[in-house]
Amino acid sequence: MDVPLAEELEWLESAFLQEESVEEFEEELPVASGAGTVDDCLNPPFQSQVSSRKRPSSLESKAAPEISSEDKRRKRSAAKDDEEEEDMIRCSPSKDQSAFISPTHVDAAADFAPLDELSPAVAEERFLSRFASEIDGDCIPVTGPCGERVYAKMSAGAMDYMPKKLGIERSGLLSEPINVLMEKVEQEALLKALQESAASSVDSVEVTSPDNEQLWVEKYAPKSFTELLSDEQTNREVLLWLKQWDSCVFGSHIRATSDDVLSSLRRHCSVVQHHKAYGHKNAFGQKASLNNQIINQSNTENDENGRLQGSSEMWNKLSKANNGTPEQKVLLLCGPPGLGKTTLAHVAARHSGYRIVEINASDDRSSSTIESKIIDVLQMNSVTADTRPKCLVIDEIDGSLGEGKGAVDVILKMATAEKKHVGSKDSSSDVATGKITSKRRQTATLSRPVICICNDLYAPALRPLRQISKVHMFVQPAVSRVVNRLKYICKKEGFKTSSMALTTLAEYTECDIRSCLNTLQFLNKKKENLNILEVSSQVVGRKDVSRSAFDVWKEVFQKKKAKHERKSVKGFGVHGDFKLLDSLISNRGDYELTMDGIHENFLQLCFHDPIMQKTVRCLDVLGISDYLFRYIMRAQQMSLLVYQPSIAITINRLIAQVEKPNIEWPRLFHRCRAMLMEKKDLLTSWHSRISPYISRHLSSEAFVEDVVSPLLYILSPKALRPVALHLLSENEKGDLFQLVDTMVSYSITYKNSKPEAPAVPQKYGSSSDAPAFSFDPPIDELVNFKGYQSGHATLSLAMKQIVAHEVGKHRILRGSAGALVGEAGDAAALPSKSSSPAVPGGDQGRGKTPPTLGLSKTPANGAPKKAYRDSNRAPRRPANFFDRFRKPSKESETRGDEGREQEAGKRDSRRRPVLFKYNEGFTNAVKRPVRLRELL
Amino acid sequence: MQIQVRCACGEGGCPEWAIVELQGVVEADPSIGNQLQNLEIGHLCCSSQSVYKFTVGYHELSGTKVPLKKPLLVLKKRKEESLGGAESSTTELEVIGIIRHRILFKNRPKALISVPQTKEKKTG
Repeated sequence: MDVPLAEELEWLESAFLQEESVEEFEEELPVASGAGTVDDCLNPPFQSQVSSRKRPSSLESKAAPEISSEDKRRKRSAAKDDEEEEDMIRCSPSKDQSAFISPTHVDAAADFAPLDELSPAVAEERFLSRFASEIDGDCIPVTGPCGERVYAKMSAGAMDYMPKKLGIERSGLLSEPINVLMEKVEQEALLKALQESAASSVDSVEVTSPDNEQLWVEKYAPKSFTELLSDEQTNREVLLWLKQWDSCVFGSHIRATSDDVLSSLRRHCSVVQHHKAYGHKNAFGQKASLNNQIINQSNTENDENGRLQGSSEMWNKLSKANNGTPEQKVLLLCGPPGLGKTTLAHVAARHSGYRIVEINASDDRSSSTIESKIIDVLQMNSVTADTRPKCLVIDEIDGSLGEGKGAVDVILKMATAEKKHVGSKDSSSDVATGKITSKRRQTATLSRPVICICNDLYAPALRPLRQISKVHMFVQPAVSRVVNRLKYICKKEGFKTSSMALTTLAEYTECDIRSCLNTLQFLNKKKENLNILEVSSQVVGRKDVSRSAFDVWKEVFQKKKAKHERKSVKGFGVHGDFKLLDSLISNRGDYELTMDGIHENFLQLCFHDPIMQKTVRCLDVLGISDYLFRYIMRAQQMSLLVYQPSIAITINRLIAQVEKPNIEWPRLFHRCRAMLMEKKDLLTSWHSRISPYISRHLSSEAFVEDVVSPLLYILSPKALRPVALHLLSENEKGDLFQLVDTMVSYSITYKNSKPEAPAVPQKYGSSSDAPAFSFDPPIDELVNFKGYQSGHATLSLAMKQIVAHEVGKHRILRGSAGALVGEAGDAAALPSKSSSPAVPGGDQGRGKTPPTLGLSKTPANGAPKKAYRDSNRAPRRPANFFDRFRKPSKESETRGDEGREQEAGKRDSRRRPVLFKYNEGFTNAVKRPVRLRELL
Repeated sequence: MQIQVRCACGEGGCPEWAIVELQGVVEADPSIGNQLQNLEIGHLCCSSQSVYKFTVGYHELSGTKVPLKKPLLVLKKRKEESLGGAESSTTELEVIGIIRHRILFKNRPKALISVPQTKEKKTG
């Protein structure tokens, strides 16, 4: 096939146009002529192709474009029809009629109105040339099969249609002639219009709600970033975070947003916002609030500028610090339901070019399955249709503790692995980013963004995740924003409401737009109107949510002023409150904690109570609750838990105040319990250390109640002067010995307590904060109560030091004595009772060497025995360790060692003629050649 | 050259032998000298299907029964003097056993400390 010459083509075109227009007129279609001509002449490249192919038969060449143009128009008109239908439903019937008399005409006119103006100018220009220079503006090269090349002019307006048209042309011929189809379509449209007009006069609602109607929530979910209802800053930060993955995921280097992009972005924002604002105005005519809005928006716009710059700086920083992935690998969105967390995640991810893979609460979320799933998502790429990188969205990750934890663990593991990895790699090279990224993908680390969504940020399962992820709290959007969106949707759906009612609804649901929309759709279906007064009964589809404990306490302690008034006027205020509180508390579930919190916090509340009546009543009620609990826990009658909320409600009625209560987490109970356990522990361990002949007379209860305080007095006598030992008088030495003796008997000593716990020793007298001594089993803490100071004096630091030293010495001596004496242990452990205190005291004072002290103090029957043994043992040290135990008893009978050894050796050899020697680690097997002659 | 191997025991009737493979050396006490005849080396016990215990001296070895990759033949050389002098004297190899398994003791031996012995020592 030849490539047509330019002149020929031009000629063809003009001829064709004339012919076609004639044809079109003959068909008496009102639109066709205009549309066809303009359309065709605006598509020179297409036409040139067509004509070049169909040149042999010029008739066909005429038919083909005609078909295509017709076809296209039909398609468009059909599409328009659909739209028109939708529009029409919302319009008044009279308008519909006028619109539907000539739908195609309207469409075409609308479509081509701007192009019509262009067409004369375009027609004069050259469309095709062998030289690009002969064509003004953009041109496209067209190469024929034989290699000849022409340049075709590109029309800006026609560009958009070109691909579509080509596609149609390629799709082949129609099964039915176009004229027939056209007529059919028109007839259908007419019929529909007639039906519609008839139906709409009867009931418009029926038409709008076919059976398989989409949920409004999904239908009107934000599709693009600018439609999001959530807080602008949060949106941006989420997007920024996603963008930080770009270098890792898409392999492109992170660039800082250049200034021109930034400014254009700003312009875009402002345009969008102003556009929105005007849109609101046009749509709803809210002038009063509109002004505020505009002002607000301009403010936020300024803020945004700053923010954007800040973010760009951050971006730079980040890209330097971390090659590829952002510092926090996981994004955690949290907030109450219906604020658009999931929507934001989806929209932002789509916006950044990711394919979203969502793991929902309804999916299998056991640890093993989720791990494989996450690895699938993060490291594989789809071969089929969608090759975009994936972004994992884990919805309701806090859902249930056990299962959610699996996901959290897996993510945590991967994220931390990544961190280690990066830590080791950062040092190696910062230059070859691409290389590192590719390497990193091989390891099982997080290489795709993961967005987690939860309602309760402080769920225990999320605690570890919280530390490594970037957390965004969702706050309620402004009520006006929600109301505006609701209004827009209501208008689109043809549901009549007032803004007052919508505001009430939004307030009631706490800007939970999902619940709002569900309610509205429900009411729409039921053909009811939104009733301001009964919003609470009308709201449907709220997500079950348990509030935090703090919320519950707040509700208990705080009256809602405004709402309360409004409701009480209507006469169901009290009842409503009851219900609300009851459901709140029972939804929360953890009654014990709730009651604890109430118990600990209600006294901090400032309520009017001159004769303590309310306080008493509250405590009474709490007591009942406690009894109830005890019974419930003992008898396992969990059904009785139903009565717990009512107790809280009683308290609410008694003491609720309008002021915001200052609520603290109840810790006292747990602290008390922990302390009790600790002290009990201390006591028992100490009790077991005291020698049994004392401890058997002391039950731990009696000890705590009766003995500890006097013991403390005894252990800190006032008479002792803090001087060196040898300066003490005999009397004082006696006292000291007695003290040491008591302390040893009760196995108490002084211990150099660490400086990080200075509170205890300082309280009890030792003034210097250098080495402070305190009792070793800290028995003084057993009587250490808040606001109570034990009256016992405390020894000075020097004295304590001396005493501690002496106690240590004494203990060693006694220990050795006791071990040696054995059955005489009782006597040895009672030196103070068996021997007079004066003599050993003197001894102790004078002689510092422990052995003499020990010998002099050990009772008479102990010492000689030991001496005897020592002398016995001295001459012959046993060579064998085991011999030591065996020999002393049979010392007299045993013969000389040498003789015995020999004998043993003999017997051994007699009994064991063959011994095995193990060769460790090698085999010395021998391979010996066998010669043939040996076999012969 | 042909070597005749004769199997007198018939098909499938060859006596089964086994190799005891030790990692180490079995040594006779020097005091025994050359009287190795009829010396008891130790006890070999089969404690279960493939687990064997071998007690040598004061060591207990535990080993397993391992099939050989190639079975071995145990041959016995037998010379038969025929009438025709040296030339015609033929040598026959007789199969006296086939080895299909070996019992491998490759682990470190466990030392046996026998209590009665010390008692004996003391009293004696």
